[in-house]
Amino acid sequence: MADLDLGYVDQVVERLGRKPEAVIGILQALQRRYRYLPRAALDRVCEQTEIKPADITGVATFYNQFRLKPVGEHIIAVCHGTACHVKGSGLVQSAFERELKLAPGEDTDSFGRFTIEKVACLGCCTLAPVVQIDGRTFGRVAPSHVGDVLADFLSHCGNGKSPAPAGGGVAAAAHEGEVRVGLGSCCVAQGSGKVHEAIEQALRQGAVAAGVKRVGCVGMCHQTPLVELVMPDGGNKLFTKVSPEDAGEIVLDHFRPRGWWRRTSRAVARWLDRWANGAGPPDSRCAGVDRRDPVICAFLGPQLHLATEHGGRIDPLDLDEYLRNDGFAALRKCIDQWSPPRIVDEVKQSGLRGRGGAGFPTGLKWDRVRQAAAEPKYVVCNGDEGDPGAFMDRMLLESFPYRIIEGMAIAALAVGAHEAILYIRAEYPLAVERINAALARCAERGLLGEGLLGSRYSLRFRVQEGAGAFVCGEETALLASIEGRRGMPRLRPPFPAECGLWGKPTLVNNVETYALVPWIVRNGAAAFASIGAGASKGTKVFALAGKVRRGGLIEVPMGISLRQIVEEIGGGVPGGRSLKAVQVGGPSGGCVPAALADTPVDFESLTRVGAIMGSGGLVVLDDADCMVDIARYFLHFTQDQSCGKCTFCRVGTRRMLDILNRICEGRGRSDDLDQLELLAVEVQRGSICGLGRTAPNPVLSTLRYFRDEYEAHLAGRCPAGRCKALIHYRITDQCIGCTLCAQQCPTQAIPMTPYARHAVIDDRCTRCDTCRQVCPEHAVVVE
Amino acid sequence: MPRLTIDQTTVTVPEGATVLDAARAAGCDVPALCYRQGCRPLTSCLVCLVRDCATGRIVPSCGTPAVEGGRYESETAEVRAMRRSALELLLSEHVGDCLAPCFFGCPARMDIPLMLRQIAAGQLRAAIATVKRDIALPAVLGRVCPAPCERACRRGGVDAAVAICRLKRFVADADLESGAVYVPQPAAVTGRRVAVIGGGPTGLAAAYYLAAKGHSVSLYEREDRLGGRLWRETSEGELPRDVLEKEIAALLAVGIEVFCGQAIDSPDQCESLLTRCDAVVLCCGAVSADAAARWGIGHSGRGLEVAPKGFATSRQGVFAAGCAVRGKAMVVRSAADGKEAAESVDQFLRGETPVGPSEPFNSRIGKMAAEELVQLAAGSARLPRFEPSDPMIGYAASEAAAQAARCLHCDCRKQGDCRLREYAAKYGASPRRFAADRKPFSQDLRHAEVVYEPGKCIQCGLCIELARAADEPFGLTFVGRGFDVRVSAPLGRQINEALQRAAAACVEACPTAALAWKHDGSARPDGSAR
Repeated sequence: MADLDLGYVDQVVERLGRKPEAVIGILQALQRRYRYLPRAALDRVCEQTEIKPADITGVATFYNQFRLKPVGEHIIAVCHGTACHVKGSGLVQSAFERELKLAPGEDTDSFGRFTIEKVACLGCCTLAPVVQIDGRTFGRVAPSHVGDVLADFLSHCGNGKSPAPAGGGVAAAAHEGEVRVGLGSCCVAQGSGKVHEAIEQALRQGAVAAGVKRVGCVGMCHQTPLVELVMPDGGNKLFTKVSPEDAGEIVLDHFRPRGWWRRTSRAVARWLDRWANGAGPPDSRCAGVDRRDPVICAFLGPQLHLATEHGGRIDPLDLDEYLRNDGFAALRKCIDQWSPPRIVDEVKQSGLRGRGGAGFPTGLKWDRVRQAAAEPKYVVCNGDEGDPGAFMDRMLLESFPYRIIEGMAIAALAVGAHEAILYIRAEYPLAVERINAALARCAERGLLGEGLLGSRYSLRFRVQEGAGAFVCGEETALLASIEGRRGMPRLRPPFPAECGLWGKPTLVNNVETYALVPWIVRNGAAAFASIGAGASKGTKVFALAGKVRRGGLIEVPMGISLRQIVEEIGGGVPGGRSLKAVQVGGPSGGCVPAALADTPVDFESLTRVGAIMGSGGLVVLDDADCMVDIARYFLHFTQDQSCGKCTFCRVGTRRMLDILNRICEGRGRSDDLDQLELLAVEVQRGSICGLGRTAPNPVLSTLRYFRDEYEAHLAGRCPAGRCKALIHYRITDQCIGCTLCAQQCPTQAIPMTPYARHAVIDDRCTRCDTCRQVCPEHAVVVE
Repeated sequence: MPRLTIDQTTVTVPEGATVLDAARAAGCDVPALCYRQGCRPLTSCLVCLVRDCATGRIVPSCGTPAVEGGRYESETAEVRAMRRSALELLLSEHVGDCLAPCFFGCPARMDIPLMLRQIAAGQLRAAIATVKRDIALPAVLGRVCPAPCERACRRGGVDAAVAICRLKRFVADADLESGAVYVPQPAAVTGRRVAVIGGGPTGLAAAYYLAAKGHSVSLYEREDRLGGRLWRETSEGELPRDVLEKEIAALLAVGIEVFCGQAIDSPDQCESLLTRCDAVVLCCGAVSADAAARWGIGHSGRGLEVAPKGFATSRQGVFAAGCAVRGKAMVVRSAADGKEAAESVDQFLRGETPVGPSEPFNSRIGKMAAEELVQLAAGSARLPRFEPSDPMIGYAASEAAAQAARCLHCDCRKQGDCRLREYAAKYGASPRRFAADRKPFSQDLRHAEVVYEPGKCIQCGLCIELARAADEPFGLTFVGRGFDVRVSAPLGRQINEALQRAAAACVEACPTAALAWKHDGSARPDGSAR
């Protein structure tokens, strides 16, 4: 530690300030530099600032992002999001631990090469199970292939990965066509970055005059990387699952290179390639489809894009394009024509309710902040989307940064705030980058700052990065975090509208809520209120994942049924399995059984069936999913994310988890279900914040609809064959004695008996499922 | 000044008051652990819950501002059940024994650790008072008791159990030889008469505790001397007769009328005794079925039939204890019976249901691992157990003090003022409702005066606040999050650096014994009370 360069600490302090509220930013900067937080650096911070030792320790140990121990050279982040969980992330995690020969409780291998981290959700749910090694994403990782993943990573790691292109594309000449490449971070995870590079290169080489445009998310995550060609005549073609190799071809096939020599030579070269490689027709998955294609239509048809208006068509950071597409028109209207009460009234009339989960009427909240007497006031955007399986807000921030800024500006104007803060979780680097870039571009044009859109109204924006704590999605915890404290929620009232950031009136709304505001102002409250059902107006963005053919991000009108979402948009459950339930609302939500699939998606109906709208994760579960395991999964998550303040949440959720663990491990007691239910209700009633109050929902809803499955576990049976302690692997007489299972078994639980039927030694078997996956004869069964 | 209604009572409280203030003003003893006058409400323990009638929500009263017209429920079954659950959840992660294992090992439930600390501090007068609160014949039992307490002693897992029995004998012998034997402060005379039949260990104990409670006691013994089976079942070598005689004489000093050579076994005698006395306690040793019939009491096969709790027989006002009920028993069991029967008779005489002493509320660690025992032992004398240089005479005073200091202090340092225990007892909270794998035991003794036991911490945060208010240079902080959060000194500092100014305030505010004085009032090594 003697060689630690503490001069860097001083620089960081100089840059970020000496006030207590700078602590999170300082720690983030230090960790970027040192990869963990060395004690000496923390001591130095305390010497140099007003930050006290107790506070720096409290903060550094509260947030997941901060590491107090040195880490290996590379970090393997194993995603434990909902979709990954149901697709076996637990097995993947243990496979990595075995591969790296980690001692129990250790996270770094003995050579200091790799450190394994569990992460709540990487937001690549359609690629599940997913791991990320130093930012490189590997999708659909099988436990038996973790060795290959590591080898692949190490073989590439010298070359460096290609980061998402940050700059603008080749300048577009509109009349000569346009190539649109989806570059949301999940698309990038699927390789869109490379596709984008390949296209640019091809266009340069072919001297094609079409422009390449990076666009935001189209939502069709199941089809990424996605390339859309807009022809000079205005027609378009969509190419799905494009590889970098295909990308150049596609572009050159559709746009005419300039000059006859280039055209001819390209045709000849292609012909020669095909001939030499004996390749058949181009891969069918790469054939272009029209947006009118039935499958695409089914996916896009029932959707309605308000928050995601122009999705997949406009460059997220192209300010001119945003302005051409009605950008800032709503804000202009508010500045020029509407008084603050008029704006609030419009939002009230629209019936807009908070999209963060609880569905509080937005207009009412705005009114409270507007009427609060104290000054100054703050407007905060809650971008701390932490639900595993939810990445709507990330997509909105990445794809529509200007729209969110505009929504916040309108809100600021309405409530009389002159400072706006976007709190975005640190796990969303691209979202932070795009918002910062968008703010910078607005500032360059003089749209924000001293004079909002040239008016006399001043509005300053800033971005604060979260540091990895799900509970900071709770508004009072989020405000504590902005103030540089541990993200502990406090009892409300007083509500932030009266007593928020620094004790001043503060408006806190979710990303999607702000994104809807410009649409409402431009199109009128009545237009918005005409969409939706009952007391739930407008649309809602969902992340659709799990056991569904077409996963992705969708925006649907309120009131649509879950069945329509799963079957029409999602294309139903794949693999001949049947729909069992839809998990709505993530760890705060519940499981709606297939029998209630006609439940309309609105705040009241979902609450009635024991789920909640939540922030918008929809995970489809099929008959191979164990509902007790799902309940345990979510409770494990919330239990782990509890801030640890109030007794019911801190200890209560843990005791619930104890009971669920017992049940899943076959050690359940006869009164466990009653105890669990009773405690769940007490945790619900007794906890002081939303996290604790909703944490029991997944348990209560599964107890309500799938009690028989719990009872089966008490009797020592897991009907879905998921709970390790209750299942056994057996090899049937289908076995041909190929020894593949014996070779692959990581624990030598299958003796090698060539040409003879193999057998599993049960007490050595860790239920890693490798044998079943590798068996070519389907001779391994789970009982 | 807002007016609120708590249950049926309307109260007016000052501006800025909380619902907790209002409820207390309305006469509700709302439990609260993390709340402290002068500190901001921390709303962490959640035992001060009340129900807001307007919303139906259960809210912590300490953090809820009292506003005009507020209506809350405090003492309803629903609210009390929620409070109890909060307490039970806290107890489920409480790594601490209220009372030491030796306490439960001793049939007489003597406060052994307290006695040991008093011996270690040289406070023998206090020690004999502690002993005689529960054991009427300590010099005798110090010689004949098989010492089940020592089998329960945790020190046994470290090297060898504390020599509890020997030390008790040391205290008793010192008392007998002091020239002014200990006699408990007599209670006010009640005017009630009790006859105790049988002068063995049970009868002697029963008579002693009844007399100490102010009742007028007549002790009937068929032999011509008191002591019963102690004479028959022990040898001179085991129990020197002069010790036995001296101890009985000391016991009688509390004021007992003795009738030796008077057997009470005919039905007539019984009846006449019952007319003259308010209660009769049968401590006459093993009883045949015939004898039981003479008393008009059923026989269980072993002895007289009594109620499952409280030693009452089927005859109003007649109690039975010791071998009369059990057939045979350890002497200490008989002596314990005598004490408990006295308690029961006293309850009967006061018109209460005679159930005997109630079992005190207790949180229990259970079996400790070897490395935990090492931690636990860190605060006690490293000395091995040794027997007195002269076994007949017993320990010298210095030897006794050294041996007593081997006690690990398993019992809680805040037994009397632990608010978690107080409310848990009051709400009938069960420490076993959410039984779970417990966290490991640890204790931090680095601070000169304070012991920090993380396992007893309920993460209320009061000490953190107080250390901050005292402007401690390091202070305390929450480390980690969620279930694993703990209170600790920051940046690798230790508790002694963390609490340089605020130690007293923190110990006083801590609602449990997570932060406690190393040496409690009765027995600091220098003998001074805190």
